[in-house]
Amino acid sequence: MAGFILKRLLQAIFVVLAVTLIVSFAVRLSGDPAIMLMGGGGNVTEEDLQNIRQALGLERPFFVQYFSFLQGIFVGDFGRSFMGGTPVSTLIAQALPSTLLLAFTSLLVSIALSVPLGVYAAVNRGRWPDQLIRILSLVGLSFPNFWLAIMMVLLFSIVLGILPPSGMEGPESFIMPALTMAIILTATNVRLVRTSMLETLSQQYIMVARSKGLADRVVLYKHALRNSAIPLVTYIGLQFGGLIGGIVIVERVFNWPGMGTLAFDAISGRDYPVLQGTITVLALFIVLINLLVDIAYGLIDPRIRTE
Amino acid sequence: MRLSRTLKALGLTVATALAPLMASGAQAAGTMTVAVAIDPGSWDPIDTFLVDWSSAANNIYDGLTARGADMKLKPGLATSWEFLDNNSRIRFKLRENVKFHNGEPFNAQAVKFTFDRLLGAEGKKGPQQSNYNTIDHVEVVDDHTVDFVMKQPDPVLLTKLAGYGAMIVPPKYIQEKGDDHFNTHPVGTGPFKFVEYNPKVSLTLEANPEHWGGAPKLDKVVTRFISEANTQVAELQAGRIDVATLIPFGLAPTVEKSPNLDLISITGPTVVSLRLNTKEGITKDQNVRKALIMGIDRDAIIKAVLLGHAKPIASFQSELSFGHDPNLKPLPFDLAKAKQMLQQAKVPAGAPVKIDFRGNDATFREVAQAAAGFLQALGLKPSLQPYEPPVLLNDIIPNGKTGEAWHQAWGGWTFDYDNTAYLMYHTGEKWNPYDNDPKLNEMLEKQRTIYDVKERENLLQEIARYVADKALEIPLYNQNTIYGVNKRVKNFDAPADRRFRFTETSVD
Repeated sequence: MAGFILKRLLQAIFVVLAVTLIVSFAVRLSGDPAIMLMGGGGNVTEEDLQNIRQALGLERPFFVQYFSFLQGIFVGDFGRSFMGGTPVSTLIAQALPSTLLLAFTSLLVSIALSVPLGVYAAVNRGRWPDQLIRILSLVGLSFPNFWLAIMMVLLFSIVLGILPPSGMEGPESFIMPALTMAIILTATNVRLVRTSMLETLSQQYIMVARSKGLADRVVLYKHALRNSAIPLVTYIGLQFGGLIGGIVIVERVFNWPGMGTLAFDAISGRDYPVLQGTITVLALFIVLINLLVDIAYGLIDPRIRTE
Repeated sequence: MRLSRTLKALGLTVATALAPLMASGAQAAGTMTVAVAIDPGSWDPIDTFLVDWSSAANNIYDGLTARGADMKLKPGLATSWEFLDNNSRIRFKLRENVKFHNGEPFNAQAVKFTFDRLLGAEGKKGPQQSNYNTIDHVEVVDDHTVDFVMKQPDPVLLTKLAGYGAMIVPPKYIQEKGDDHFNTHPVGTGPFKFVEYNPKVSLTLEANPEHWGGAPKLDKVVTRFISEANTQVAELQAGRIDVATLIPFGLAPTVEKSPNLDLISITGPTVVSLRLNTKEGITKDQNVRKALIMGIDRDAIIKAVLLGHAKPIASFQSELSFGHDPNLKPLPFDLAKAKQMLQQAKVPAGAPVKIDFRGNDATFREVAQAAAGFLQALGLKPSLQPYEPPVLLNDIIPNGKTGEAWHQAWGGWTFDYDNTAYLMYHTGEKWNPYDNDPKLNEMLEKQRTIYDVKERENLLQEIARYVADKALEIPLYNQNTIYGVNKRVKNFDAPADRRFRFTETSVD
């Protein structure tokens, strides 16, 4: 098990390094932050721009900038925002918990919805509840998340006036963003649980369990669900990456003070340090989750550890 | 039966759980909430050029001069000023008995400190210094008198002292607490003082009852940062913000129709034109350029695409701008005449006209499409080329790689034609890749040395006429500044430049 974890860990470090390099390079192709900072300002000369570039450390060669960024990462220093000079680590420390809280809430809601629905659909295979769940999941899959978000705001905030349209103020502000993310996740997860359950339910050991006279519920939840969980855990782990991607849009619509909003603003303002910092931290998280999935895999199915 | 009972129970549970939230839409009495798009990250006047900074910070700080919603210049922290030594020295008499929010006295030292900082090493790192480098230095005459010693004449200086980098900051506070602390805990002399800053979320200010301009009627002003226009409008409709500053034309009717909201649409600083390539293509010919102007129905574009929230222009400036000439009218729309002029200039049918524009500007994309439609009707072959803004602004335009026409959009808070004219038409300027007109250069340089208001205005108007006659661009429109405001807000004096001052404003 230790060797297995070590191997995965080394792979993870390599991936994160590659991400930092690509991000630092790509962000510098996107335009000159000195000009963005000057914006519509009056009488800007090339000399003024040069002064700003120098103050921001942008006149140094790319690899010098990249290595000072890398050096900083190891001590948790991502530099300072070009806009206002706040340390990037401070901004991330404020934004990351909001995003993770939203991501995990969405994931939990989605699991809480998709597991019972998926099992129910599998048990009633071919009958109307199964059909209905499948149609609903198709509908859920077809919604773009920003559209769903705007429709929810329209219904709950403007027509009914019961939920705040944006911001992160109390538990009530989680309802719409988490639901937006969860509906889209659930749409795929329900299908996954259903298929996986159907496959397991047709196994001989389930027949054996049934013929032993075990109660339906025990067979379903103890024998079938645990064995169906492997693809589900993998999938949910992988989903986390997509979830973070989707969260950028959902955060923007709901003005959620998280990593997505931070990254989005950084892109529009060519705020290199903030963009590098947020993407590196998000990449770290995705890699970490994948690592945990691999390990969880080994825990659920002992055969994988020994491979 | 069982299902319906379950559903009913579920519905009841949800309703009970959400009931306490119903009240959350209501705003506290005496508190007004304004939404702006971007958090500037620092509240130090020398760190930013963002209009959103000014929307909030114009309430925290004062300048030596001030400009209200009517865009007229008036005394601020200086009560009077006079020009000395052949205009190379400007003497300001300062307001007495003014204190910063931390209790520090406002005096000549504070003015000197502010400008030493702006013009020195600290200011060099930020975008504001370049707006003020016509000032050589500031001298203290006595405790309530300062002299601005000029490096070169700057007729726009008095306006520029009313905002942004020229806002007066407290010397002791900054020296003791440091720049980083000042960035996030601003102190000024303005009508509202800093309470709390929550990055990317909000800035809270409270009334400064001792302000020299009188105590504000509001207790608190909260500025929230919401970068998505739909979200600002939703918050406005839900009654959780009082003023929305980000309202695209498409959403204006939504605000207009809401019974509890007002849509305010007033002349703003931003002007939009299609600059023409005078070096290559059919636009090399002055008469062809005039034909293109006459061939595009700008009024129709304003009505259909901008839903009326703009005005036609004859020169590249707003009608609020110093140098605007109400007697200068744009060339009229006349398709037949335009066709005839193209024929006379021997422009072949199907000659290409490529329009380069900022691809992220959805409104302008529609404007460009409409313009292309008119060009097609002239028998030309228009094409649209969207660019990433930095590519267009840093490469295509300055390096002269444009098509026959390109998108220019500009808005300066000073409302002085110099702001656009010099950068757009003087030889060697970034936004002027093709034209080299000694006569125009001379006029542009000369107006920068004239302090006589009437004389300078005449010259600026002459420049506008000259540029219009040369048909260097297709002047399109002056975009309105649009606000969505809750009806509970009273005395909201809407400023064209979005630099709010909430002294007289109140909420029900």
